[in-house]
Amino acid sequence: MKMRVLWLSAIACNGNTHSFLNYPYIEQFLNDFEFIYHQVIDSAYSLEDIVLNQIPCDILLIEGAISREFQRADVSVIEIIESYSKIVQKIVTVGTCATFGGIFRESDYENTSGLHFNQEKSLGNFQDILDKTVSLSGCPVHPEVLVNTLYAIKKSVNLKLDNFLRPKEFYAYTVHNGCTRNEYFEYKVDNHKFGELEGCMYYDHGCQAPYTHASCNKILWNEVNSKTRAGLPCMGCTEPKFPKQNLFETKKNMGIPEYLPVGVGKRTYLTLAGITKAFNIQRLQKKLFDD
Amino acid sequence: MIKLIEKIEGEAKLNFNFKDNKIDFVDIEFMSTRNIENILKGKSAFDALVINPRVCGICGHAHLIATVEALESCYDNLQISNKAKSLRELTLNFELIQNHFKWFYLTMMPLFGHKQEVLKATYPSQLMGKAIALFGGQYPHTSYAVVGGVVCDITEMDIIKLQHYIEQTVKFVEDNLIKMESESFSTCKSVDNILKYEGDLPDILRQIKKEELLAYGKSYGRFISFGENSYFKKGKSLKTRVNNNIFIEHAKESETATSFAKNVSYKDKYYEVGPLARAMVNKNKLILDAHRKYGDSIFSRILARVSEISQLLKHSKKLIQKLDLNEPSYIEPCIDIKQFSSSGYSAVEAARGTLIHKVELENGFIKNYEIITPTQWNLSGGTREKQGVSQKAMIGLYDIKMAELVFKTFDVCSVCTTH
Ligand code: SF4
Ligand code: SF4
Repeated sequence: MKMRVLWLSAIACNGNTHSFLNYPYIEQFLNDFEFIYHQVIDSAYSLEDIVLNQIPCDILLIEGAISREFQRADVSVIEIIESYSKIVQKIVTVGTCATFGGIFRESDYENTSGLHFNQEKSLGNFQDILDKTVSLSGCPVHPEVLVNTLYAIKKSVNLKLDNFLRPKEFYAYTVHNGCTRNEYFEYKVDNHKFGELEGCMYYDHGCQAPYTHASCNKILWNEVNSKTRAGLPCMGCTEPKFPKQNLFETKKNMGIPEYLPVGVGKRTYLTLAGITKAFNIQRLQKKLFDD
Repeated sequence: MIKLIEKIEGEAKLNFNFKDNKIDFVDIEFMSTRNIENILKGKSAFDALVINPRVCGICGHAHLIATVEALESCYDNLQISNKAKSLRELTLNFELIQNHFKWFYLTMMPLFGHKQEVLKATYPSQLMGKAIALFGGQYPHTSYAVVGGVVCDITEMDIIKLQHYIEQTVKFVEDNLIKMESESFSTCKSVDNILKYEGDLPDILRQIKKEELLAYGKSYGRFISFGENSYFKKGKSLKTRVNNNIFIEHAKESETATSFAKNVSYKDKYYEVGPLARAMVNKNKLILDAHRKYGDSIFSRILARVSEISQLLKHSKKLIQKLDLNEPSYIEPCIDIKQFSSSGYSAVEAARGTLIHKVELENGFIKNYEIITPTQWNLSGGTREKQGVSQKAMIGLYDIKMAELVFKTFDVCSVCTTH
């Protein structure tokens, strides 16, 4: 039996919609799931059918930030969510906006936030559906993270979730894990320049990967690359505070980055940095493809 | 009669007024806005590179390129390598192409009564997504173009991979879209010739002829295009008369009472932007032929958009051949943006047409930011006396379904329109 899915867009850029369309085995997916509504994929119901009735459905996907003021087909998204969350098995927040508020938390709608969180803060509303919700943060969400989570729901897998209701399977990693620039980080070679294959961006260019929970360097984007491999700092787009300010710079206090890798204390960091600097590895001072 | 138009990345309301059974005016209403220009205020300049792709999930890359060029225009003597310029142009081409595939297969074909074949949209657009990700790290929502160049460095291996993505896309075009050599399609001069071939595109075009829809969707025949690069020219065209002297200062936004989308006009006149406009300004032979025969109708609009796929694939191959990998990808600007109070603007061609960004900086922070999106040009909701481009294109139709089709040939995107 196909599982029935409602894709509901709130205050969004539809980046998650298009990220989803990049899922390579979409044909397989559409054999196993059916959208009762989706922004661009044909569905048996119109948006008006969806908001005026309560069409039977198994999973509610929410994309975009939420505010009572924001409407779809003249009905407040909050009302639509209230209606469907009662009948579905699971609610999945797709993307950082739907999870934490994201960029559109700052848009002009009143009290805009994610479904259960306003950045890191837990919200009181929707408590009754808390145990039905899975959060998939990311701006946008990786298509494999979305699709595989939906399959896990279909198979009734008991998903282990973190404090923000994100499946650990994808969010227990940090983006730092798997970056091709790791050696430069380890040995604290901070000679990164844009437009080069060498160097780690943590020390000067604001790379947030060591404290950002996501699988970008494990699953890879579009099956080929990641921001940090390409040479773009991780912007921390899966985290509650996304977007922070001054994204291309590393905020420091007395020369030490303000945000340290997950689980590393300041003193440990200093000790480690002292030791690793002493290595002075020639190979890492040169261009990778030097003759 | 009000109809909710959906599956346009959001929704719009069209309020149809009939006279003698024919549509005589359509009021276009977009019901929401996210106001990203306000979000940008007070942020440090470079953060716009991260925020702006989030204006739109389908053409976010055009917003990135527009942002970086607007910021760069604030500098006096900024150096950008040819390699960086070409890479940006390539990734922008790839975004245009993926958009055209999605529009044709997900939106257009079903409106002509065909079953939606999701895979035909997603397979080639995924290839183009990979091509962007190769340089940009991911697609959608990369910020790989930064002031001074691009963040990636590329190797011969990347080029080989890229060529494979392009060749696969070409093959898809030849196997599905139109069963002729993609290169010949890109230089074909005659509509009649196109109609002789098999494929999803000629099928739709023949259907338009057969169902006698050739006169549908005509507007003013006034076109404009601001984004210049090695392929697109800047200019406006009235029918086939092209004038390349146009100035962004004359492009004006105005608020409307009934909609969250602002209208955009050039010297107080509404112009069509997009692939058809680009082709008219570029004097593309095939589209001139279509225009001569069928004007700015749905026939010409669809043909212009889809044929751009092959043209851009071909042009991208040329750009790749000319790449000099020894050039730097990035040249650090000599002035720190934090010391900057200046203003600038940019115009790029996004899939749906001209996209304009204007920025004002104060000590490296954004004081003001304005975005004019392509769909605002096409979907401007004018008055009865002075109708917008798509409004005019729907006048005289009998049937709301047909009007929706005409409306959607402009490739409506509600997130962009209302940003
Ligand atoms: S999380 Fe990001 S991709 Fe998603 S809607 Fe928000 S801004 Fe767009
Ligand atoms: S660039 Fe970022 S992800 Fe890569 S090694 Fe450095 S900190 Fe980690």
